[in-house]
Amino acid sequence: MDIQALRSQIEKIDTLPTIPSVLRKLLVVIENPGISLNEVGSFISNDPVLTSRVLKVVNSPVYGFPGRISSVSQALILLGLNVVKGMLLGVSVFEAMQKTMVGLWEHSLGCAITARIIAKKKDLKEPEEVSVAALLHDIGKVVLGLKFPDEYKKIMAEAETKDIFIFDAEKNYFGINHADAGAWIAQKWNFPYRLVEVIEYHHKPHLSKNVTMQTAIVHLSDILVRIKGFGFAGDNFVPAINNAAWQMLDLSEADLKDIIKEMEDSLSQAEDFLLSDE
Amino acid sequence: MSSLNTVVVISRDMVLTSIMDRILKDSYRVVDFSNMQSSLDYIYNSIPDMLIIDIGTDTDDFTVNIVNELKGDPIFGQLPVLAIFDDRFVIQDWDSLLVDDYLRKSCLEMELLTKVGLCMHRAERTIEVNPLTRLPGNIAIIKQIQKRLDAGDIFALAYADLDYFKPYNDRYGFSRGDEVLKMLGRLILNIVKGKQPHGSFVGHIGGDDFVFIMDSGYIEDASREILDNFNKIIPTFYDAEDRVRGFIESVDREGNKRTFPLIGISIGAVHNKIRKFSHYGEIAEVASEMKKYAKCTGGGCFRVDKRQHEFAH
Ligand SMILES: [Fe+2]
Ligand SMILES: [Fe+2]
Repeated sequence: MDIQALRSQIEKIDTLPTIPSVLRKLLVVIENPGISLNEVGSFISNDPVLTSRVLKVVNSPVYGFPGRISSVSQALILLGLNVVKGMLLGVSVFEAMQKTMVGLWEHSLGCAITARIIAKKKDLKEPEEVSVAALLHDIGKVVLGLKFPDEYKKIMAEAETKDIFIFDAEKNYFGINHADAGAWIAQKWNFPYRLVEVIEYHHKPHLSKNVTMQTAIVHLSDILVRIKGFGFAGDNFVPAINNAAWQMLDLSEADLKDIIKEMEDSLSQAEDFLLSDE
Repeated sequence: MSSLNTVVVISRDMVLTSIMDRILKDSYRVVDFSNMQSSLDYIYNSIPDMLIIDIGTDTDDFTVNIVNELKGDPIFGQLPVLAIFDDRFVIQDWDSLLVDDYLRKSCLEMELLTKVGLCMHRAERTIEVNPLTRLPGNIAIIKQIQKRLDAGDIFALAYADLDYFKPYNDRYGFSRGDEVLKMLGRLILNIVKGKQPHGSFVGHIGGDDFVFIMDSGYIEDASREILDNFNKIIPTFYDAEDRVRGFIESVDREGNKRTFPLIGISIGAVHNKIRKFSHYGEIAEVASEMKKYAKCTGGGCFRVDKRQHEFAH
């Protein structure tokens, strides 16, 4: 398939499905009449698909400020509890590749948590924005897995047998990788360019122009979460850290130790969230 | 003041008029006129709740023109107009007769009362809105405030507007300014409705002027929440360099280049728990006075009227 055709296929996607355990919790959230906007917000912030859905709606031209909102809590305030609840009612779950997707969920949530820790360490003004970017960085894998489930299974098998990175296996098959696919959909859904750019360059952080620090943080988070063995990102490798990103981050060994220590505590809490099924 | 809604009936046909009077008189205050001209003075001065016009078969130019002009005026456009047609009359072009609904003469007995009720209810629901934010506009705001004052309700009224909005428009253009207004409209609406789902009201006067009404116990919290959230969200409406710097460069009224802080909100509020107001203009004046006091540098401000004396004319 040529790349333009692939892109227009991907841009046709309106909504992404989530994983079953999230849907079950979601129904509990929606049916609770006394739930506050903050509670709904922190629930949504744990899930890349729900987060992308909320950002898609708030950044749609209907509300009149496309491409502006990158924070879940801000999105919820601007949409209002009723709109958000109504929107969440339509969420579905993956039919295929559920197991793969659960691993990807853990990976994404782990990255969001790690990115927030690093952003705070680097005194960034908007740690939430970096965290959202990290949560969404691999959304292209969800997109490809949804649109081409059989092909994507083959790609994953190939990555495993040939011992190559998942993004190289994707590129071999589609001519693009999940970072491209993710950036396409993020752009189509009018996400702020600060999110689009991080998604597009999280494996090539040196190419980022406008949000170099954010991209470097998400790049490092991706690696750290893989090192910790939290979740599954489609292959079993830990890619080398990009030199430019490492320079940009300028972290001391002590900083890194702090970050990893904090990660360990937060990730085990996240694990509880994903595994618990009340 | 009578609590019955007023229906103006315009018909040359005395028999028809008396039938309509009989059907409506228990539910509405009915005022009859034999032709459109003689009704105008009454309509312009007291804005009835509904107009029923006997068109019959002849769409006599004069009457139709007046109806159309009336409906074309934003103030009277809200006024529901019901046309009465002869049974065999067929209208050629609805653009030539701007009415909201019609009824045939033979259906009057069965349908008139229900139809009038629905027309009024629909007009109530479809209030005039600000085209930018779709929030109720000026006329609806005045009506809302006056209705509460007339009913003797105790409530709080807040006025909100933006500081440093002009330099923003100058720097980025009006369509970027409109984005900010649409965001502010959503923000106020959701915070007000979130705090008080029933009995609250949000309106957009125009430009960067907004109004909201709540029970007085909620207004202070809601205002602070609006300020806080606005301050968190507004930086993303600036370009990256300006956002990082935290100010913009633009020209002031004298044409001098200078720097301006990011947009902030001023909110002034007033309630009628202690001070009594009888007219919309009085309470609006105090609220906008409070808003002026609230104007201060950067970060937004909130001020509520705490004076206890009666409104001085
Ligand atoms: Fe990736
Ligand atoms: Fe990743």
